[in-house]
Amino acid sequence: MADRRRINGPAGATIPPVFDDVSTPKLKSPKTRSRPPNTTRKMYLKTGVTPSASGSAYLEIETSATPGVSGLKLSCSVHGPRSLPRSAPFSPHIVLSTHVKYAPFATKQRRGYLRDPSERDLGIHLEAALRGAIIADRWPKSGVDIIISIVEGDQDRETSLLQGDEVWDMMNALGGCITVAAAALADAGIDCVDTVAGGVAALVQDAGEDSIPTVVVDPIPSEHEKILAACCIAYLPTRDEVTNLWFRGDLPTSDIDLYTSLVEKGIQASKNANRVLVGCLAETIE
Amino acid sequence: MSRHQYIRNLDYGDAVDEYEGYSEEENDELSPEDRALMNQGTADVQAALGVEISKVTVAQIEEALWHYYYDVDKSVAYLISKFVNPRPKATKPAVQPPNGKSVTCAIDTSTAGLPLELGIPSHWAAKYLDLTDTGLPALQTNSPNSAAWRQSIGHQSNTRALSISTPVSFEHGTWISHFFQDMPWGNIPKHRETTFIAPPKRRGGLLGGSGMPPKMSKLQALAAARKKKAEEKKAIDEKAEQTRMQVEDLSMEHTPAGKENVLMAGPSNKRLKTSESIAQSTMPLLGSQPTQPEISHQSGVMTKVPGEGPLLGQGLFGGRPGSSTPDAPGDGRKAIMAEPSAFAQLLCWNPPTSRTSNGSESDPLYGFGCGYGADNKGNPPTKPLDPTDWFDVRKRKRDDSGDFDEEVILYPNLPQSVRDTFAQPSPDDVVLAAQAKAKSMKAGPKTAAAQPKKKGTASTDAVTASVDGLRISDAPLPKSRNLDVLSELEKSKPKKSASFVVVGHVDAGKSTMMGRLLLDLKVVDQRTIDKLQKEAKTEGKGSFGLAWVLDQRPEERSRGITMDIATRRFETEHTAFTILDAPGHAEYIYNMIAGASQADFAILVIDASIDAFESGLKGQTREHSLLIRSMGVSRIIVAINKLDTVAWSQERFSEIKDQMSGFLSTANFQHKNMAFVPVSGLNGDNLVHRSRDPAASWYTGPTLVEELENSEPSARALTKPLRMTVFEVYRTMQSPVTVSGRIEAGSVQMGDALLVQPSGQKAYVKSILANEAPVDWAVAGQNVVLHLSHIDPIHVRDGDIICDPAKPVPKADTFKMKALAFDILMPMPVEVHRGRLNQAGKIETISALLDKASGSVVKKNPKIVKPAMVARIVVKLESQVPLEPGQRVVLRSGGQTVAAGLLE
Repeated sequence: MADRRRINGPAGATIPPVFDDVSTPKLKSPKTRSRPPNTTRKMYLKTGVTPSASGSAYLEIETSATPGVSGLKLSCSVHGPRSLPRSAPFSPHIVLSTHVKYAPFATKQRRGYLRDPSERDLGIHLEAALRGAIIADRWPKSGVDIIISIVEGDQDRETSLLQGDEVWDMMNALGGCITVAAAALADAGIDCVDTVAGGVAALVQDAGEDSIPTVVVDPIPSEHEKILAACCIAYLPTRDEVTNLWFRGDLPTSDIDLYTSLVEKGIQASKNANRVLVGCLAETIE
Repeated sequence: MSRHQYIRNLDYGDAVDEYEGYSEEENDELSPEDRALMNQGTADVQAALGVEISKVTVAQIEEALWHYYYDVDKSVAYLISKFVNPRPKATKPAVQPPNGKSVTCAIDTSTAGLPLELGIPSHWAAKYLDLTDTGLPALQTNSPNSAAWRQSIGHQSNTRALSISTPVSFEHGTWISHFFQDMPWGNIPKHRETTFIAPPKRRGGLLGGSGMPPKMSKLQALAAARKKKAEEKKAIDEKAEQTRMQVEDLSMEHTPAGKENVLMAGPSNKRLKTSESIAQSTMPLLGSQPTQPEISHQSGVMTKVPGEGPLLGQGLFGGRPGSSTPDAPGDGRKAIMAEPSAFAQLLCWNPPTSRTSNGSESDPLYGFGCGYGADNKGNPPTKPLDPTDWFDVRKRKRDDSGDFDEEVILYPNLPQSVRDTFAQPSPDDVVLAAQAKAKSMKAGPKTAAAQPKKKGTASTDAVTASVDGLRISDAPLPKSRNLDVLSELEKSKPKKSASFVVVGHVDAGKSTMMGRLLLDLKVVDQRTIDKLQKEAKTEGKGSFGLAWVLDQRPEERSRGITMDIATRRFETEHTAFTILDAPGHAEYIYNMIAGASQADFAILVIDASIDAFESGLKGQTREHSLLIRSMGVSRIIVAINKLDTVAWSQERFSEIKDQMSGFLSTANFQHKNMAFVPVSGLNGDNLVHRSRDPAASWYTGPTLVEELENSEPSARALTKPLRMTVFEVYRTMQSPVTVSGRIEAGSVQMGDALLVQPSGQKAYVKSILANEAPVDWAVAGQNVVLHLSHIDPIHVRDGDIICDPAKPVPKADTFKMKALAFDILMPMPVEVHRGRLNQAGKIETISALLDKASGSVVKKNPKIVKPAMVARIVVKLESQVPLEPGQRVVLRSGGQTVAAGLLE
């Protein structure tokens, strides 16, 4: 018996029409970095965007001037502090649970609705970064959920899927996640020793294989020919402490100080982010 | 150890001794830590006092610090109130710890004389003390500092006894006035006026939550309370700071005016919490200090500690290698803070506070985010966006030429390619426009088509039919030979053709008689009859063998009755006849009507056996004769059958003949059109051959066939437009739509275009069969088979009328007719039979009773029509059927024929 209750699709496959698009101008490629090496992109941060959450924040990192490159858009909501379920074991500290999820449309490759390993990884890094900032023993037997949706994933739509490593994008995303989570935590009124903010620095090779690598802050992977190494740092400025450091890549053995300078650049980026964060919080209090 | 035991074991003596011992010690006995704290505190106080340091000595500062346990805030407040900005009515500073113990800041006479030095009359001070003595509450209204002030009052009241050396006078009049001294009486100073703060606006942003604040757990509530507390504290601090600034301004205005207890909560970030040191109480007493203003420059003048502002990185870790020193906080932040994108604005719903970009291409904001709201040239918006911009991006203004005014379109700040894409009308727009255009085009021909209709050259049906006929078909049209049918007919000089219907009561022997007739005329051979008779015998119906020549359907054979019209044809010398063998049963009357409508004349078969004629006369004999007459059959041959059963009795024959002729004449048959033949259908007597039975020798008249040949068929309407009632539709090899029927009027030839009513479909004649032979043409009166083409079988049904497309049969669902009533007629539901067609309907109105002979109106609007009366009635049908004036219609109701008549 044929299925007549549903409207079934055609049995055969059809080929989508291909239009000759004359009007689309060829975008210039490869792109080059439009900012000085030690300058971060501007960002916009706003707390209190989600009315139903205890605390929330929205972070936006602008795109570069070239069209087609998306920025980073993050939305964070903090639920809590709230009492742990009865079934949970006793905890003298606040139980931090972080949840980072890309929106299905955030990246070039469409994301699923369940978290994939890379998103879990981001969540673990974020938790490590925040744990150093929250005064956890002020809230015994309680938990806080930090949920971040990455609305736009800071990926260049012009480059192909195979080009570039996604992990560099993940680092940028993590930096934003840390900053926005700190803002949302402050909005929720959860005690922290300091405002933690994330920053990314990378060692890039822009002019061929043999060129001297340079250290840049806030790298956009599509703007660089090759990224040798990158680090994402969560930093507490008033305490001068790093709560999380994620380093990846190979450093040339010739320069021993390269690692240190990379971390320092990361800290610098993080400080920049922190200034925005502090400014945003001050604005909220006003 | 429990608390109880601790208390019990406490050595009170030791404690008291310790205390007394300390009371006797001098102020220099500070421990090193306390000394350090004191030095630090002194420096802080000096810093806090700033330029006012000249009015306070180090000793005074130290005293105050000691008194307030190194609390810099309080000390500064005290010193300011005491020495820097004393109110005119200030009293002598007399300081003692609240518990009245020996820790005292005994004030010597020089201190007591301070008011005098400051130019304040001593009775002021006295009066003031007096007031405090009376226990009046504080008159001071400097609310932020009232607590501190009260504290100082307490000190004064405690030291009152020992310190006052000035005379005390009671002046009641003045103290009443003093009581209201602070009342502004309408001239409220600015700083006391309330500032009304507008309630906070509800923020926009994401939907979610109810209007209520989100439900909070206890912990969340606690967190919120802390948040609130912190905010309040900040607000208080700010306010205090503000007040302090005001007071500073005031003090500049009237600096030496006097002393007053104006205390400030001095803001300071470096507040020392020294509660531990208080518990130890190891501080030595501060000795009495000289109160002369003494300017101290010990630690240098420090600038005011910034009271607010976030701690930004550069001050604390600016020196680190590799870190670029950021700018001043405000500027730096602005440089790295971005404007919200359209998405963010939508999310937060707050219009951007400032829009500094000037809209040039080099602006770093250009291209950031989606940039909705930017104008058409790609510039970012220069004004704050309002939400309607995002939802109504395509505000278009139509100018006079009908084109869209491009300048008004608010395109998002998208790449040029995207904007180009949306500059043209969208595919949907194109389609819609084309549809609108097509609609207006369609309206044109319609009006053109309406024109001839108005002129009356063709009816609506004709137009519809012609439009429908414009269908393009792949199959070639049948070729017409364009014959002049009438001249062909004259040339061919064919045999006369006639059809007759055989009617009669049930079991009168109609079918058997016809079978015998066919057998005798050698249309059917003997072998077939033998076979049929053998079959009939096996079924126990021996005598039905002949009838089965016509009754071919199994049901008819098993029941031994005729149910539908059976047609056979035979030819005599001069004429080609078509037999229409009608059923006799009352329930198949409609088939009989269908048959009768095709007949030129009728054979009424009457069973002559005993009682059968009488019952027949009451039954179908009567009804059939009435029906065939009302169907327009005027010639009737009465075959008195089964006379062999009554031994060919002439009396019986003449009896039946008399009765029938009398009856038939009442049914409007003319005597010359009646013929009576005694026959035996089973044996074939007097059918084709004369009876050989000697008993029947009395009959010398013509046989049945001779009577048939004598019958002149009614005049054919050859020149009228084509009308043919579809008797049957079936499939054949030649055509999927093969119709059989009798041509009632006009002629048809191969290739003719035809119109089938009521479906209104056009068809073409592919070929014609007449008498089972292909012919080129056919004329009225012939029973023909037409093979049609260019028509779908669903459009042709039994009872339809095939007509000339130029002169089609009109369709109607209401008709007026002149009806002869066989039964009582009133407005009631009826079945309308017209030939093969039968259709349910109802008599709507009976407009008039008519005279049978003349047709003139006898009575208008009768309620009912009695039997045998003629009336003009209006009948409404359920659906449209092809009807034409002059057609004969039978009305039946409840299995009875109630009326028959002619359409008007």
